[in-house]
Amino acid sequence: MRKLTIDGREIEVAEGTTVLAAARALGVEIPHFCWHPELSVAANCRMCLVEVEKQPKLQPACQLEVADGMVVHTDTPRVREARRAVIEYLLLHHPVDCPICDQAGECKLQDYYMLYDRRASRLWSEEGKVRKRKRVIFGPHVIYDAERCVLCTRCVRFCREIVRDPVLIEVHRGDHSEIAVAPGRTLDHAYSLMTAHVCPVGALTSRDFRFQCRVWFLVSTPTICPGCATGCNAFLDHYRGEAFRLRPRDNPALNRCWLCDDGVLAYHLHNDHRLTVPEVGRGDDARRAAWDEALAEAAARLRKVPKSQRAAVLSAEHSCEENWALATFAREALGVERFFETGRAAGAADDLLRHADKNPNRAGVREMLGAEPEPFERLVEEATAGSLRAAVALGAAAPVPGAGLQRLEALVSIAPRRGPLPDAAQVRLPSPSFAEAAGTYVNARGQAQPFPRAMPPRGEALEVPDLLARLARRLDSTVPFRSAADVRAAVGPRLPQPQPATEGGAP
Amino acid sequence: MEEYREEELILPADPMVLNMGPSHPAMHGTVRCLLRLDGEQVVDCDVQIGFLHRGFEKECEAGTWTQVFPYTDRLNYASPLLNNIGYALAVEKLLGITVPPRCQYVRVILGEVARICDHCVCNAAMAMELGAFTVFLYLVKAREWLFEVLEEVTGARVTHCFCRIGGLRHDLPEGFGERLRAALQKTLAAVEDSEKLLLRNRIFLDRTMEVGAISAERALAYGWTGPCLRSTGVAYDVRKVHPYLAYDELDFDVPVGSRGDNYDRFVVRLEEIRQSARIIDQALRRLPDGPIAVPDDLGVVLPDKIQTYTTIERTIQHFKIVTEGIQVPPGEVYSYTEAANGELGFYIVSTGGGRPHKCRVRPPCFANLQALPELVRGRLLPDIIPTFGSINMIGGECDR
Repeated sequence: MRKLTIDGREIEVAEGTTVLAAARALGVEIPHFCWHPELSVAANCRMCLVEVEKQPKLQPACQLEVADGMVVHTDTPRVREARRAVIEYLLLHHPVDCPICDQAGECKLQDYYMLYDRRASRLWSEEGKVRKRKRVIFGPHVIYDAERCVLCTRCVRFCREIVRDPVLIEVHRGDHSEIAVAPGRTLDHAYSLMTAHVCPVGALTSRDFRFQCRVWFLVSTPTICPGCATGCNAFLDHYRGEAFRLRPRDNPALNRCWLCDDGVLAYHLHNDHRLTVPEVGRGDDARRAAWDEALAEAAARLRKVPKSQRAAVLSAEHSCEENWALATFAREALGVERFFETGRAAGAADDLLRHADKNPNRAGVREMLGAEPEPFERLVEEATAGSLRAAVALGAAAPVPGAGLQRLEALVSIAPRRGPLPDAAQVRLPSPSFAEAAGTYVNARGQAQPFPRAMPPRGEALEVPDLLARLARRLDSTVPFRSAADVRAAVGPRLPQPQPATEGGAP
Repeated sequence: MEEYREEELILPADPMVLNMGPSHPAMHGTVRCLLRLDGEQVVDCDVQIGFLHRGFEKECEAGTWTQVFPYTDRLNYASPLLNNIGYALAVEKLLGITVPPRCQYVRVILGEVARICDHCVCNAAMAMELGAFTVFLYLVKAREWLFEVLEEVTGARVTHCFCRIGGLRHDLPEGFGERLRAALQKTLAAVEDSEKLLLRNRIFLDRTMEVGAISAERALAYGWTGPCLRSTGVAYDVRKVHPYLAYDELDFDVPVGSRGDNYDRFVVRLEEIRQSARIIDQALRRLPDGPIAVPDDLGVVLPDKIQTYTTIERTIQHFKIVTEGIQVPPGEVYSYTEAANGELGFYIVSTGGGRPHKCRVRPPCFANLQALPELVRGRLLPDIIPTFGSINMIGGECDR
């Protein structure tokens, strides 16, 4: 252990700790661009310079290891002047882009200028600014603006150290330096949007988020990424019912401070192809219906089929609460004994975050059912063969094409958006998206992670427990819940103990 | 003609309950007096306020510090600039900054113009309600001349929203001093004419002298401030007792009354108009050159437009001030100024960041109004009209 003094306060930290990390432990924020807790130290931005007694020159706090008896000052006139000078230099060639820059509002250059500089430009003519490449397409998701870049190399180090795909490099020298994609490559690995996320300024921006919404309008709600079975912790950024992006939320034990590209873009599940009103009929005969009419039609169709030929389809895409509600409804109101499972088809995996199972709650479905559900393929077979004639299905996705589902005499689909299952159904009942109802996912490691509701359901969508309770009344039956709150109370004890997730974003 | 028996015409002995307002034309400002009358005599009066409550203080918490200014315009809407100044001084106190001398003088000038407007309209309304319609026309016309000058400076007749934290929106236009002096000259002439019409008028004197009187002791107990308190003989004026802006460099008297009745309140306001004119005259003569706001480098005022459009430094500053608001350090202050009705206080709390955590207003007329029952109890019903008028209750300020 090493004992040192920072701004007059003593702290003891492990050998090898940097001054910046020790200061953070004390709650002293030292400004920085290039330092990132998950990346190697570059010490190139010089923003973190601090004064250390008995050392004639200012030292970079991010690189300097602590020593016994070290006395550090983070807020002296010399330090303030150094920070001011760093900001002045960084802004020297910076374009006047804030009004058209997506980063504006969450930009470290802006924040640090207001905190540490606030002086007017001393550049007397704009002609003096070095011009560089703008709007360079780096890859499918990322666009680069060399003029805004502060060359902190966070993106370069992220690709090299975290993704182990050194696709980004620094080219040229002096004030002509910039970041480039290695010759013959594009920035197309599965974590390319994280390069834009680690960028402290507006140099790397997301093509998906580009010009969509000003960041200060966004409301952030903690959530769990619905993109795969890893269950990465994230923030959903939304505004007036529209989602704009998922952002990683720190969880050192799970996703650290990262998300994959599919995860960042998983918010589209909330925005796109939504089912917002109840519908009756299939294909060309489909039409909008009132809730009463749609529920009556669903009940009438389900009644015609004997209990032994009814089935329920749970969804690995949906929360434990919604699945438990459907399983309970199916057993008690429909007398169903056959439970199947649907979800999105498997996809690519890697050893960083991405899981082959592209559904967030497959483990949760098993916990809620208390048994292994039958595979979706068998449902399609039996529907084709005619041995199953009615089903109530949760979720929009289907892992395999299911033409045989069309032969079901009654298929009632409860889904937040359009997809193979609702398209095959005679009755479609709109339910909330992952952002519109609180719930719990159990990830592939068996961790139950609850998440809150970010916004009320869109259109006429009803929460699944509410919807099923109404359908049960139409069937002259009852279920042991009336609302989402009842379901949460019933589901709670059945879950593995939730793992506390840490709050806050990457520095 | 129908015959009445004499006993039917005798007024009932039981007190009658009468609602005066909230939409009674003399209850300007939407307020209700629940009266208990014995014949025409007021046995009791219950003042009920809140008809103009708009959640001003809560609403302040939703915007940035700067976005509070339009709300302050709508407190005492007879003198919005004084509210602007009071709020700006409160935030500046919390920020620990002082505006440059020129800004202080301009704020004094505009504030005193607003005070004259306020006193003109208060006295005009009070006179009109006693039948002196000519005086109403004189004084409201005088206010109009001043409004024209204010409009030229601020762009608006009433809701000026002209102050900024750390300064003013912009400097005075060319030739402002001459035009203001001309308008003031006409205003003072109108005030003198009004005085001649009223102060030797039997009707006016009977309706105001010894009516609605209160002792200095009772007035202080009620928390009275401003012209109403001074009418009782207490020379309490925040501008003198706790000088702010440039008031300690300017020479003016604090007029006081002696009886604390409607007449004294009317006359104190008339005299304050003359004192305000004196202040404006001195301030115009001494008006220093220099900036109208604190330096851009403090990060408090919006930076120069040309630099904002051409340099990244000022673009960032403009951006941050508009989107996040001025960064005010955590803390709380109570700051008070002499508004037209008395001590206007702002108690503001910051938890750091660009938005007020709490913005509480001490409206002078709220304290003044609460003495109304005591002023009218035992008097005749018509006495409520000049008494209420001389208190100058302003709904926007009282109810917030």
